[in-house]
Amino acid sequence: MNLIERRTFLKTSALAAASAAAAARAQSPAPPTAAADVLKWDKAPCRFCGTGCHVKVGVKDGKVVAIAGHPDAAVNKGLLCVKGYHVGGILYGKDRLTDPMLRRNGVMEKISWEEAIDITARRIMKNPAGFGFYTSGQSTIPEGYAATKFMKGGLSNNHTEPNARLCMASAVTGYISTYGVDEPAGCYDDLDACNVLLMWGNNMAEMHPVLFSRILDRRERGQKVTIIDLGTRRTRTSEFADHYLEFRPQTDLAIANCIAQQLIESGAWNKKFVENHCAFRADADITKPDLMGVAISFDDFKNRIAEYTPEYVSGLSGLSVEQLKMLGDLFADPNIRITSTWCMGMNQHTRGTAINRLVHGIHLLSGHFGKPGDAPTSLTGQPSACGTAREVGTLCHTLPGGRLVAKQPHREQCEKHWNLPAGRIKETPGYHTVLLFEKFCTPKDKGGDIDTIMVQVTNPGQTLPNLKKLYTAKIGLEDKFLIVSDVYPTASTEIADLVLPAAMWVEKNGAYGNSERRTQQWFKMVQPPGQAREDVWMTIAIAHRMFELGHPGMKDKDGKFIFTFKDDAGNEVPVWDYAHFHDINADRVLYEEYRPLTHIKHKHVAPYDELVKATGMRWPVVEQPDGSYKETRYRFVEGEDPFVAKGKGIDFYHSTTDDGRAQIWFCPFERHPEEPDTEYPFWLCTGRVVEHWHSGTMTMRVPQLRGAMPNAYCEINPADAAAAGIGNGDDIIVATRRGEITLTAWINGRGRPPKGSLFVPFFDEKRLINNITLDAYCPISKEPDYKKCAARIRKA
Amino acid sequence: MSTISRRDLFRSMLGRHAEPTAPSVALPVSDEAPQLALILDRFCLAYQGSFCSVCSERCPENGAIVVVQGKPHVNPDFCTGCKVCHEVCPAPKNAVFLVSRKPRQGMVARPTPEPESP
Ligand code: SF4
Repeated sequence: MNLIERRTFLKTSALAAASAAAAARAQSPAPPTAAADVLKWDKAPCRFCGTGCHVKVGVKDGKVVAIAGHPDAAVNKGLLCVKGYHVGGILYGKDRLTDPMLRRNGVMEKISWEEAIDITARRIMKNPAGFGFYTSGQSTIPEGYAATKFMKGGLSNNHTEPNARLCMASAVTGYISTYGVDEPAGCYDDLDACNVLLMWGNNMAEMHPVLFSRILDRRERGQKVTIIDLGTRRTRTSEFADHYLEFRPQTDLAIANCIAQQLIESGAWNKKFVENHCAFRADADITKPDLMGVAISFDDFKNRIAEYTPEYVSGLSGLSVEQLKMLGDLFADPNIRITSTWCMGMNQHTRGTAINRLVHGIHLLSGHFGKPGDAPTSLTGQPSACGTAREVGTLCHTLPGGRLVAKQPHREQCEKHWNLPAGRIKETPGYHTVLLFEKFCTPKDKGGDIDTIMVQVTNPGQTLPNLKKLYTAKIGLEDKFLIVSDVYPTASTEIADLVLPAAMWVEKNGAYGNSERRTQQWFKMVQPPGQAREDVWMTIAIAHRMFELGHPGMKDKDGKFIFTFKDDAGNEVPVWDYAHFHDINADRVLYEEYRPLTHIKHKHVAPYDELVKATGMRWPVVEQPDGSYKETRYRFVEGEDPFVAKGKGIDFYHSTTDDGRAQIWFCPFERHPEEPDTEYPFWLCTGRVVEHWHSGTMTMRVPQLRGAMPNAYCEINPADAAAAGIGNGDDIIVATRRGEITLTAWINGRGRPPKGSLFVPFFDEKRLINNITLDAYCPISKEPDYKKCAARIRKA
Repeated sequence: MSTISRRDLFRSMLGRHAEPTAPSVALPVSDEAPQLALILDRFCLAYQGSFCSVCSERCPENGAIVVVQGKPHVNPDFCTGCKVCHEVCPAPKNAVFLVSRKPRQGMVARPTPEPESP
C-alpha cells in the first residue's frame, strides 16, 4: 500500500469508527460511489474459510482493485493466505451469470426476474411439502435466517438443509451430546497459550493456513510449543510437527479411548474436575446409537475402557506403544496446556459423533479444559458454518438460536417471535442432506417425495458424495425441478431447470460467523454484474409472490406478510420489489430480528451496529454498565463467561442432565463399513488444497490460483506406483465400487501418503472425485465420510 | 518406478492452463542471456507466514527449488532459468525474478540462503 492509499485508508477507517457515521451508513447501505481515481477502503471478512480473516477491500471506479490483510483484525493481524490475497479476483471471472435462465425444451433461455420468481413461487405452491431448500455454510446470517423463517415458519416445511451437514454436523452432535449446547468453549487465543497443539487428522497448514502460522510465529519468537500431527497421511502440516503419528484410518476412536484408558489406569485423571463438573454416558444400544444415550457409572466407564490398552490399540492403529504412551502421559500432566484441533478428519467420519465425543472426553477426564490453552476446539471449514448453519439453525431439525423443531417450547417461542399462529412450525425434522437429494433423485412413484429443490450459495453437483446416485440421477426425471442460484456456471447449474444469477461477497451486505464464535459484518461495496441479485432478496421475493398468490403460510397471525421491513420513520418498505430493496438495510433488519432469538442458549450475538465498528466480536457479547459491549473468549469459565456465576469456577449451564455437568462418553472402536480388501486394496481420502476454495467455482476463475493448481491429481506412494507401473504424471484410473475416474498420478505429491492410500482433491469440476466417493454417514450426525472408502488403481 | 521427468508432470498437470498468470513485476528478461530464478522473500508467501510451495512443485528440474521448513530455495547449480516458477507464482506480487547469471557491475545477488537448521 502506498502512502496516499494508506492515508485514505486511515481516513476512511476513522470515519467508519465514528458511531454517528456508522449508524448513518447502517441505514443507507447504498454502495459508496467512489469518486473517480480515489481508492476507497472498507472492511470485510474473507469470503473463504472458517478461519475468518478480515481483509481490507480497496474499491476504485466501482471495482474491487486491492485487497490487504486487515492489520487490526485479531484473527489474522494483517496476514492472509494465497486465496485471501486473491479474494477480490473472484468477482471478475469472464463467465459470471448475469440473467435468470429457464430450461425450455432442453435449452437455457433468458427470462426476466419477475418470471423467475413467479415460476419458483408457483412451483413451490403446487406441492409445498415436496419442496427442499438447500443452503450453505457460506450463506450470510440474514440469508440463513430468511430461509429458515420462510421454510419452517412460512411453509411449515422442515426440508431445509445447509451444506454444513456435509462438514460440521458431527462437531455439532459432539458438542451437544457433551455440553448440551453447540460450538466451542475455547477460541483462537488458545493457540497463543497452549504448550501442546494436538491436531486430529487436521492439515491446518493447508486448510487454515493463517491459524497455523500463528503457532509457527510463536516458535519464531522462541517460545516452545510442541506440535503433534495425528494423521493418516503426511501433509504440509507434518513438516512442522515435532511428532507425526500415523494411524490406520478409523482407529482414531481407539487412540482416544487408549488415552482415557491410561488416565484411568494410572489414576492420573483429574478427580476433582470430574467429580465437580462431569458425568459419564454411553449409547444404550450401540447398534442404534442416538444423540443423548444413557448415564453410566464411573465403574461402568472404567470397565468398558479397560480393553483399550496401549498394546491392544497399537495393534489396531499402527501407532507404537511408546507413541500411545506419550499421548497418555501428555494428558496426564496437569502442568501443561493442551489444545486439540480438528476439522473434516474427525467430522467426515462414519463414527463422527463418537470421535468428537471422545476427544472432548479426554480433555474433560484429564481436566485439560477451561484454562487458556487447554481446550478441545473444532475448526469449521466454511466461513459461516457456525454463524449461519449452526447459530441461525438452517439444518432440518433446528430453529434459530440453538432451538430444535422437535421441542414444543422452542417451536412456540419462534411462532411467538414471528407472530405466527400456534402449531405453524412442524415438529418432525425434515430430510437431512443425503436423504433430501436421494428423495429428489428417486421417481415419485418409487417414494421420491421431494420434487423441487432450490439451491443457494453452494454447489451440490460437485460436493455431494456419490454424485451419480445423489445428483445426476435427477436427469430425465420429468416431474423434478431444480432451481440453482449461483455466480458462475457450475456442475450444479449444468442440470438445473432454473438458474438465478446471484450477487456475491462485497456485492451484497453480509454477516458471517467463524470457528471461534466471532460474528463479522460487511457492507456492499460494488454493484453485482448484469441482473445478478442478492440471495436474501430472492428468498423474500419468492415468499412475497406466494403471499400474493394466496399461500396461507406466508401470512402471520394477523394476515400480514411474514417479513416486515420498516424504515426509521416506521413506514413499511416493500423490499421484495427490487427497486426498493436498497431503500433500507434489509440485512440489519433481519439480523436485529434474529438477534434476540440467540439469547436462550446464551449465544448473544453482538448488535449489528457494534459489528459495523469492529473486525468481528465473539459471542456471548453482553452489554456492560457503561453501555459498551464485551465479547467472550472462554465459555463456561468464571470471570470470562458472563453467564457463569461467581464462585462456580466452571459451569456447563446447558448440561443435558440439568446439573451443570458435561458428559464424558464411552464410544467403542468400530470398523469402517468399506475397508480396503483384495478387490479394492487402497484407502481413498479426499480433501482441499490451499489454493482452492471447495469446488473451485470462485478460485478457479482467478488466474493466479488456477495457474498455481490447475487440475486435480491423485497422490500415491512411490512403492504403490512402482508396483502398478505408474510413473509421475501418468494418467491413472482410480476406481471404487461406485465408478471410476481418470486422474494424473503425483508420486508423493504434497502429502506423501502411506503405502496403500491415495489422496485426491475435490476442487476440479472436470475430474469429479465425488462421482466415486461413499455416501455412508454417521448414524447420529448424518454427515458422510469423504475421507475413507476402498479404491483400486491402474494405469490408463 | 518409471522415469517420467518432472517436466512431463508439469506439462500434464498444467494442461489447459498455459495462459500467463500473475501480473509480473519482474524485469523484462531477454531470451538469450542465461537466467537464474531468484525468490524475493519480501514477496514470497512462504516467507511471509503463509504457506506455498508451488514454484518447487512445478519446477521441471529436479533439485532446482528445494523447500526447507516450508520455504523454497533456488539451487543455482540445477536451475536452468526456464521461468516456469515465475509463471506459476501465485503471490500477489510475483516473488520470482529471473536475473542474469552474469553478475553485472555493482549488483549483489543472494540466490542461495544460509543453510537453516531444521
Ligand atoms: S482462506 Fe481462510 S486462511 Fe486464507 S485468508 Fe481467507 S480466511 Fe484467512
